[in-house]
Amino acid sequence: MSATTEQIHEAILRTREARDRVQLRSTDAIAAALARAAKNWLAADSPWRRRAVEQAPATTGFSSAMVNEAVDLTFAPITEHALRELLSSGSPLANEGEAGIASAISGEREKRRRASRSHQHPQIIVHFLAGNVPAPGLASICCGLLSKSANLIKVSSRDPVFPALFVESVRAVDAELAGCAAVLDWRREEVTLTRAALTEADAVIAYGDDETIASIRRMTRPDAHFLGYGHKLSFAVIGKAVLTKENLPRLAEAAAFDASVYDQQGCLSPHAFYVEDGGLVSPRAFAAALAEAMASYQARVPRGELSVEEAAQVAKLRGAYEFRSASDKSVAVWAGGGTNDWLVIYEEDPMFTPSCLNRVVFVKPVTRLESIPQFMRRFASSLSTAGLAPMDGRTTAFAGELIKLGVSRVCPIGQMQRPRLAWQLAG
Amino acid sequence: MDQTALKLQHRVLALMARGVAQPASEDEFNGLACAVFEFQYERCGVYRAYCEQQKCVPETVSHWKQIPAVPASAFRDFTLACFPAEDAVAEFHTSGTTRQKPGRHFFHTLELYDAAITHAFAPHLLPDNARLPMLVLTPPLQEALQSSLSHMMDVVVREFGAVGSAHYVERGELRAEPLASALREHERAGQPVFLLGTAFAFVHFFDYLAQHNLRFQMADGSRAMETGGFKSRSRELSKKELYGQFENCLGIPPTRVVNEYGMTELSTQFYDQTLREGRQTDRKLAPPWSRVLITDPTTGEEANPGERGLIRIYDLANLWSALCLQTEDLGVTGGGDAFEVLGRAAGAEVRGCSLNAETLRTL
Repeated sequence: MSATTEQIHEAILRTREARDRVQLRSTDAIAAALARAAKNWLAADSPWRRRAVEQAPATTGFSSAMVNEAVDLTFAPITEHALRELLSSGSPLANEGEAGIASAISGEREKRRRASRSHQHPQIIVHFLAGNVPAPGLASICCGLLSKSANLIKVSSRDPVFPALFVESVRAVDAELAGCAAVLDWRREEVTLTRAALTEADAVIAYGDDETIASIRRMTRPDAHFLGYGHKLSFAVIGKAVLTKENLPRLAEAAAFDASVYDQQGCLSPHAFYVEDGGLVSPRAFAAALAEAMASYQARVPRGELSVEEAAQVAKLRGAYEFRSASDKSVAVWAGGGTNDWLVIYEEDPMFTPSCLNRVVFVKPVTRLESIPQFMRRFASSLSTAGLAPMDGRTTAFAGELIKLGVSRVCPIGQMQRPRLAWQLAG
Repeated sequence: MDQTALKLQHRVLALMARGVAQPASEDEFNGLACAVFEFQYERCGVYRAYCEQQKCVPETVSHWKQIPAVPASAFRDFTLACFPAEDAVAEFHTSGTTRQKPGRHFFHTLELYDAAITHAFAPHLLPDNARLPMLVLTPPLQEALQSSLSHMMDVVVREFGAVGSAHYVERGELRAEPLASALREHERAGQPVFLLGTAFAFVHFFDYLAQHNLRFQMADGSRAMETGGFKSRSRELSKKELYGQFENCLGIPPTRVVNEYGMTELSTQFYDQTLREGRQTDRKLAPPWSRVLITDPTTGEEANPGERGLIRIYDLANLWSALCLQTEDLGVTGGGDAFEVLGRAAGAEVRGCSLNAETLRTL
């Protein structure tokens, strides 16, 4: 059901009034309320969880088991502590400039400048949420409520469910706070509606591809604060020290989780695993173990429905690599059943090849970890997270190389999809 | 030449010579397809290895639908030939991209290839047996020896073109002015023409005409054949928009514009049934020496009628390479034996927030 211009204006008025009413509340109290709302999602029999599992598959295409998993991944990190960290670490909205954390470091002068203004936080924030990975959008909503702003939230057609249910769950613990958020739905093509929303926006948070973000930015007032979160890609690196027979099942399970959750559609989902040669377990054996773990995960949390175009992309990759593997032993393919539920493609060519997603992951052997940045260089400006195992003395220096390459976060395998709340808005 | 190959070639040529009006019987097509499959299995090591991997070998395959399909990528990754490639009389290359090597298709003879061209072209583009000047918007063969499209144009112009046939692409550039002059001359003389070219070349020409405020009303009987889609080389137009331009700029109605679907990896081309049926249609029929299946991309099995899926082609003229090709194009059945091409299976709108292969391809 699409919004109208009148509804947008009415929502702005309504949330602005609500916002005025919460100005005197402490941010700690707001954090506590948000944390309570989030906690209410976590119980296995939570009515919020139940409603998300019922409603989200239809629009996101995820299986109900995946939506269930998404609930845990999204709400477990939303704790009081994490919310307070969100603000104190320099929420991008509490500071001037887009690198919120960086400007927080600029310290005293900034604090004094902020204190001298009556409304240092934006009055009205318009959020343009992305497809079906709920966590980042909900992190922005929390941020917007913590900054005591009025929040107009435009959902994506892929996921109108999580944002709406989240705000409802906030209303159930703190109606006054929830009044500061209005969730609306309209199609990207309805430019008049986007403009109506943006005329009053002091700040905009936009998720999407570069083109979408650019077009929203063009319609945003020049004096408004703009934060764009474009599409990114992630990958993982496994050093030989951790490649033992004992570690293998656990490592493969963690890797399969990272690659399978959200059907690999999140910007934190690894497209490829670079695996160091010379360990007790070969990269090829890791690929086989990963395939087994992908199959186990699939059995527990099935991949969602794909469009014909998406299924065709998977089929194309499988066909191409399978044909090659019959004659070329530097390539091997493991496929999830007769329905391509997942693919693991072992390929000795070290150049990074982006995946078509939907649980299609590459495993590439490397002789030296230090050579990996050169294989990724073409994509340096699009990098998000690098999963790394092990995280020990030797790999810390390598982690530094990855940051230099352009990676904004390095974390253990299995944790790629579990970033800290505060990171989600800075990364 | 290989006696088996010669006999197979002869059988396929005989089938082609019977024309496109009658489909081959299931038995005849099946017999020939299985024989070609066995030949290709034995002569092409890379294909044989794949068939063994898929556990579909001549001993177990008794129906053409069981023949393993070669992905189009195989022509990029391997030399896919059923004869020593150094004995090739022709080698066609796909256009490829800057980041990907081109696919290569090798021919021991061009007899089947040329026969496939002429036996399908005439019924679909010249059902009235017209002999018209052909104005071709592709590079001439001398400039594009490895282009299967240029070779095809060379064949049809020689076989079917009247005096005044010419190419209007030189060194990669469209020669719009001479083409416009030629059209004006033919228009004045009331001489119908036959334009052939890629969709994007036509778009460039129509842009030129718009810029120079030129329009034509070509004589009745004029027609056009367009092919190739857009392949990200120019702004995209829908088929409807493109055909509207043929009418606006040249006075050639959609009932006289035919789309050709072909590719470097195949020997046979597929055409809209428009001129044969006397009305504009996107329905294409596979000529009797070929079959087209729409496959469910998830299972690889034949899709249900009316469901969109990946186009798989069985082309008996493809004797020297691979009879069965899995294309990267989406299609749908069109009633009866007809099918429609819906376009490349490009990556769908990316969900969530990750960059995927399709978007990254443009970096």
